[in-house]
Amino acid sequence: MTPIIEVRDLHFQYEDGTKALDGINFTLHEGETVALFGPNGSGKTTFVLHLNGILRGPGSITICGIPLTKESLPEVRSRIGIVFQDSDEQLFMPTVLEDAAFGPLNLGLSAEQALARAKSALDQVGLGHAIGKAPYHLSAGEKKRAALAGVLAMNPEVLVLDEPNTFLDPPGRGNLIQLLQTLPQAKLIITHDAFLAAALAGRAVFFESGKLVADGPVNEIVQQYGWGYPALPADLRYSAQRRF
Amino acid sequence: MHHVRVDQWSRGSSPLHTRDPRAKILALLVFLIVLATTPANAAITLAIDSALLLAGIMIAGLPLAGLLLRAMVVLPFSLTFGLLSWLVGDRWRAIGLVEKSYLSAVAVLLIIGVTTLPALLTGLERLGAPRMFVLVAQFLYRYLFVISEQAQHMRLAAASRQGNPHIHRKGRFRAAAGALAVLFARSYYRAEGIHRAMLARAFTGRFPLLDSQHFRPADAVFAFAISAFLILVRIQ
Repeated sequence: MTPIIEVRDLHFQYEDGTKALDGINFTLHEGETVALFGPNGSGKTTFVLHLNGILRGPGSITICGIPLTKESLPEVRSRIGIVFQDSDEQLFMPTVLEDAAFGPLNLGLSAEQALARAKSALDQVGLGHAIGKAPYHLSAGEKKRAALAGVLAMNPEVLVLDEPNTFLDPPGRGNLIQLLQTLPQAKLIITHDAFLAAALAGRAVFFESGKLVADGPVNEIVQQYGWGYPALPADLRYSAQRRF
Repeated sequence: MHHVRVDQWSRGSSPLHTRDPRAKILALLVFLIVLATTPANAAITLAIDSALLLAGIMIAGLPLAGLLLRAMVVLPFSLTFGLLSWLVGDRWRAIGLVEKSYLSAVAVLLIIGVTTLPALLTGLERLGAPRMFVLVAQFLYRYLFVISEQAQHMRLAAASRQGNPHIHRKGRFRAAAGALAVLFARSYYRAEGIHRAMLARAFTGRFPLLDSQHFRPADAVFAFAISAFLILVRIQ
C-alpha cells in the first residue's frame, strides 16, 4: 500500500520550552483509519497540526508523496482536511453555505464551482436544508456536520478529526459514526472514545509525553493502556443505602 | 442561548425582507440625508416621513411597539444634547435633535429588522464599504453570540456560588472584573483557533467572496421610488 502520510523523526518544542513532540515516526496508508489515543497534553493535537504545516518542527513530513515545505503548503492543505474539536472556531462565515465554500474559493475555484462543491458537501453530511442558516442557529451535531462539510468541500485525501464527538449527545455520536463510515478518505481520529475508535478504525497509536509509544490494532491498544470504560466495579456502583 | 430579537425579525419573508440589501441601504441613506436636511418645524414633511416608516413596519410585519421601544435607545443621548440646546435658547434645534435622531433610529431598526446582518454586510461591501470594516463587523457579529454565551455561563456559575446577592458588593465587582479578564483571554485564544482553522482551509490572507446577491429590476424600482418620493416631499 502507498503511504499517504509519512512522518519521520518529528520534534517540536513550544516557546515556553514545553517539549510537545519527541521523535515521532508515523505512517498512514491509503484508505486506512487510525485512532490517536493518549492523555490530555500528550501531543496528539500538536502532531496533527504539523501535518498541514500550521506548526513546524524539525523532522520530515510527506503527504501524498509531497514533502511538506513552505512552497508545498497550499497543495498539502488541499489534500489534508482537519476538522477541529470546537466547531465554533471552524464555522466563522456568516452562513453555512458560505462557510462550506470558503475552502474551495481559497483553492482558486470560481464562485460557481465553489458553490457546487459546497452544496454537494452539505448534501453529503445531510445539511442540504440548512445552507442559508447562520452557524449559531445550528445544534452541536449540525455544527459538527457543517464543519465536516467545509472540509469535504475541498475534496481532501485525508481527513483528520480532533475529538469529533465533543459536545454530541449519544444519538448525535451515533449519527456521526454512521456518516464517517460512509466517507472513503483515509482518516486520523484523535479521540478518548474507544467505542468510536472501534467503530471507525482498524489501527490505533498511543501518545505519551510527546512520544508515540504504541501502534497496533485498536482492541490491543485499548487493553494495553486501559483506555476503555471497564465494567463498573461493585464498590463503585450506585447504591441507595450508601452514605457519601 | 437567546438570540437577539432583531435577528429573529430579520428572518421574515415580507416584500421588504426579500428586497436586495443594496436597495434597502440606498433607500435608508436617502431617508437619513433627507431627514437630516429637513427643518425641525417642517411638521408635514416629518409626518409623511414618519408615516412612510410606519407603513414599512406594517408591510414587514414587525412588532410596532417593540421596534419603537428599541429605537428609544438613542433618546438618552439626543435628549441630553436637546436639553443643552433648549437651555441656550434654541428651542427648534432641541426639538429637531430629538425627533430626527429618534426617526433615524426607527429607520435603521426597520432596515436591520428586514435584512439579516450577513446580507446587510455583503450589501455594504458591494456598495463600496471598506473590506476591513465589513470583515471586522462580520467576525464581531459571528462571535458576539459565542462570547455572550460564555459570559452567561460564567454569570450563572458565579451566581450559583454566591450567597446573599445584596451583600459583598465590592466582591461582586471584583469577580465581574475577573470574569471580564477571563473572557478577554478566552477570546484571544479563540481568535488563534479561528486563524488556525482558516489556515487549515488554505486561507492565504485574502478573503474570498461568494456573490449570492442579485440586484433585480424590482430592487432598482424600489430604491428609486422611495428616494424620489422622499426628495419630492422634502422639496415641496
